[in-house]
Amino acid sequence: MTDPLPTSPLTIENVQHDLQRHPLIFMRLAENALTVAESLRNNYFHNTATFVAALRMAARRESPIIAMRDVSDLRWGDLQGEVVTFIDGGVGEVQISSQVPVLLRVGSYCVRTGERNLAEREQFGYYPVILGDLEGGSKERKDFIDIVRITAELLGGLAVLERTPDLKVLMFHGPLVYMVGAYAGHTPFTEHDIDLFLQQYAPDPTMGQSLKESFLHEAALDVYPRLAPGRADEWAARRLFEPLSWMAFLYRRLISVARARTPRPLVAGVVERGGLRDFSERVLLERVFKGLRERGNVNYFNAMYGRSDLTTPKTLLDRLGYTDTLLLAMLLTPGEMCESWEMHKYEGLRHGNIALPGEGFESVVNFDELKPGPHGFPRVIGTYVQATSTTEPVRVEVFADLGEDQALEVARRVYLYSRLLPGYGFPVGLDIADKYAKVPAWMTDAYSKLIRLQLGISLQTGEVDDATMREILVQAIYMTHRDWLFRPEA
Amino acid sequence: MAVPKPQAHSPASYVGTLVGESTSREFRLAVAADALREQDIIAVDAELHRPEDGSVEPIRVWAKVQRVERLNPLFPSEAGHELAATRTNPFDTVLSLSREMVTAVCAVLGAEPLDGKVGKLDHLRYPAQPASTAYRPAPEDVARVVLGDLADRRNRSLDIATLANRPDVNVSADGHAIVTRHLAILAMTGAGKSWAARRIIEQLAAKNYPIVIFDPHGDYTGLTEVEGLQGRVQRYFARFPLFDEDSETVAEIVDSLGYPLSDTMRTRFGDVFEAARSFLADDPAERRDRVRWLADTLHRADITEIGVETNMWLVARIAEAGELVLRSDDPAERQQLEDWGWRGFTTYSKQDVRTLEAIKKRTYRAAAALSQMERQSRKIAGEAQPLPTNRQELVRYGRISVISLAGYTSDFQATIYSIIANDIFEARVREELRLPVLLLLEEAHNFAPGQAYTPAERRAITTTKQIAQEGRKFRVGLILVSQRPSRLDETTLSQCNSFIIMRMVNPADQSYVRKVIESLGEDEARMLPDLEVGEAILSGQFTSLPILVKIKPPESKGEREETDAFEELERIHAAPAQ
Repeated sequence: MTDPLPTSPLTIENVQHDLQRHPLIFMRLAENALTVAESLRNNYFHNTATFVAALRMAARRESPIIAMRDVSDLRWGDLQGEVVTFIDGGVGEVQISSQVPVLLRVGSYCVRTGERNLAEREQFGYYPVILGDLEGGSKERKDFIDIVRITAELLGGLAVLERTPDLKVLMFHGPLVYMVGAYAGHTPFTEHDIDLFLQQYAPDPTMGQSLKESFLHEAALDVYPRLAPGRADEWAARRLFEPLSWMAFLYRRLISVARARTPRPLVAGVVERGGLRDFSERVLLERVFKGLRERGNVNYFNAMYGRSDLTTPKTLLDRLGYTDTLLLAMLLTPGEMCESWEMHKYEGLRHGNIALPGEGFESVVNFDELKPGPHGFPRVIGTYVQATSTTEPVRVEVFADLGEDQALEVARRVYLYSRLLPGYGFPVGLDIADKYAKVPAWMTDAYSKLIRLQLGISLQTGEVDDATMREILVQAIYMTHRDWLFRPEA
Repeated sequence: MAVPKPQAHSPASYVGTLVGESTSREFRLAVAADALREQDIIAVDAELHRPEDGSVEPIRVWAKVQRVERLNPLFPSEAGHELAATRTNPFDTVLSLSREMVTAVCAVLGAEPLDGKVGKLDHLRYPAQPASTAYRPAPEDVARVVLGDLADRRNRSLDIATLANRPDVNVSADGHAIVTRHLAILAMTGAGKSWAARRIIEQLAAKNYPIVIFDPHGDYTGLTEVEGLQGRVQRYFARFPLFDEDSETVAEIVDSLGYPLSDTMRTRFGDVFEAARSFLADDPAERRDRVRWLADTLHRADITEIGVETNMWLVARIAEAGELVLRSDDPAERQQLEDWGWRGFTTYSKQDVRTLEAIKKRTYRAAAALSQMERQSRKIAGEAQPLPTNRQELVRYGRISVISLAGYTSDFQATIYSIIANDIFEARVREELRLPVLLLLEEAHNFAPGQAYTPAERRAITTTKQIAQEGRKFRVGLILVSQRPSRLDETTLSQCNSFIIMRMVNPADQSYVRKVIESLGEDEARMLPDLEVGEAILSGQFTSLPILVKIKPPESKGEREETDAFEELERIHAAPAQ
């Protein structure tokens, strides 16, 4: 089932030849060669091959530098009757004079393998959110859409888990938990916003109400007093849902529902085209440098590249442009996963500012309190799986609290699912959910026309009398971003 | 005028929703799985706004499903290849198999007022509204629309079929169009063309229309067994009444069954034939003398014993006798032959010996072939009469004349056909024949071939082409039945205004049919290889719209309808040997 493993001796020439044969790796290295410092550019390809040859050798020795494991042993026959749900969110953008996100929908695709009756075999669900309906969140921020999507996906996953007693695998398209520190500081959602979310997700109103009340109770007692000591009571009194606190609550709820199940469902996020360096920096290169130091060869990379600053994993990655996926694409063979590691997702959680709904000022909030703990975000374990020789490894993330075996079991399935899309190298079920969640063009086009109509009416009825504003509106109505008639004056 | 309100259609009749671009010629329907089949007739209610008076007329748009498209957008073809390579059942994987988008591409047939009762469709001038609901019309409405103008002229309609996808909807054809403007029934062997032809014949016979069938294989012998046609079907075997024909016709027969006659031979053949015609005198004693003379001259004592008949053997023997007399150069014998009716025999030169010898050989050969064919034909025809000398007797009110051509070679069939058909047509032209007539040509490619290689074929094609082109004026109609349409004469086929096209797998036949028949659409042509036995596309003037039907079974059986070969073997084996 796997592609043939390379059998040639581990010489630098063979490795270089091997890297050149893989179009994806070759292109990435070529890109890097153009973007790294000029002093590193010469022999970049050869030096990388030298480094990779050494890494491959270190990975094959008796006590390997990183553990790599074959996950290609699973067959479809082993998985008959298994219920799997894939979840993805899609954003619909309308074209006025620029792309404006207006719609979001989360799609779920649930399938029971081996089931011949189509009605029993597959269920699709989708949950649309019209962004304009929401009161909370900082809409002026570009990442507003992200916090809505993450929240909606999480609620979708939770709803699926609660609705499907025999669910074996719950797989999200994208990180299981995002680098949430970047999303700190959004204006909290109102209860009205949460009701809108829950309308779509809760199978019955009481369940949604219970979820909401559980959060508010916990937030009032344990979370808000730590986040905003001076205003916690006010937050609780206004029944506000600070977005990160709400997300952390939903993650913990997801984990607790999964833990209560026997057998325990696998819950994972699968990431394609990831640019992380977490594994390389904290695991792989950390061990490389430790080994170099042990052998008194700390200047190994400096000697190779003719520099003096390549002495830490971070500087090496900074200067040479390597990422997890690039390094692991050169190390893993199809059907292999690398050893898992605990990911550092929450370093961005620190003090920040928040403006409450209706307030014109901001107050300080300590997001550090949402780091893993009884009331914070969960710990996440990551690994990489190489599906085919022509694609990058995909990253798999699982919750540490659901057990150590989750990463391996998910990786085995990710590999099997991905083999059905060898040109993409990504689980086919997530591709299906992705297509299903996509907001169709006709829907966004219709919104675009509706918005243009409303703007047009405002102009015609004289509601807008400011000349500059009128000009902007005319452009918004008629202009597309490639419209020659509205080209800038020379 | 009270505007009829749009009707509420039952959920059971719902078939789909109009999506995408809608034009006055075509639209697409989003349909549920298995809701429609190709060639289904559906309807969409719409409104026609009349700017001149501001009125709104509710209309019903009729359409036919040209093709049905199924697409699973969630099933990547790449995954399909991977499943194939690994021999994996998709049901065993996490692939999605349930989300199919089914779209029906529909060709607009026309429109009628929503409360229309006539069935005649007008051209749609403004498309139906997107998102309109399409429904399956009631059987009586479909029958009305398929019937079109015929609704007002029931006496012309022939009950020949049901809709292929809706057995509850009867489909009638315009018999007037068939008998006046010709019909072609085209299909491969075993697709049911004789079945369809017999159904039409039975329906026309019920209206007393005179019909003459040229039956090369005995497909129509079963007509005599149909209860309603008792005493109205007359079968004829083609024992050719040689001496009722002119010498040129007989020369044609010799030409086609023997060897070709040269021009010189043709000239002399006329003399020989006339000599044979007058050889048998009315006076019995005189006739006996002449026969004795012939036996003596030919040294064939058996001729005296068995006598002579008015057939091709007599012509051959007279030719041989003439040759021998010329060789003997006996003036008295020469004179005697001239006295018995051989014009100008005394003026024949020695060179005519070879000509008569050649005529003798050809005529003997033709006589042998003709005898053999006549024996076979008579055997196959069963209880049948010889062909009447007066061809007009074949055309009678309420009667079907089946001329069995079985047993004859295709050339002789063509010759017999062209003689008879030409006589009938000429009789109509000269107004000697009072009644109109319909000629049915089974295996029509033998009577109207695209390429004529023999004189018999040339003569047949000339006759058929003339009837096809001018028959309408003189009320001589044609039904051409053929399993090899591409071998049919293009002019003749294009003169047919109505078509029944059944299963056809030969690509040459398909493309020929598509080229010649203007009313046959691209999508219909594509269906031809996939039609079931008995299914047919009706197209042309005898139907209001091209339509896929199932031909109703005829009451009669064909002679050649096959029994199971192995059962037949066992039956024969079990029967006591005679």
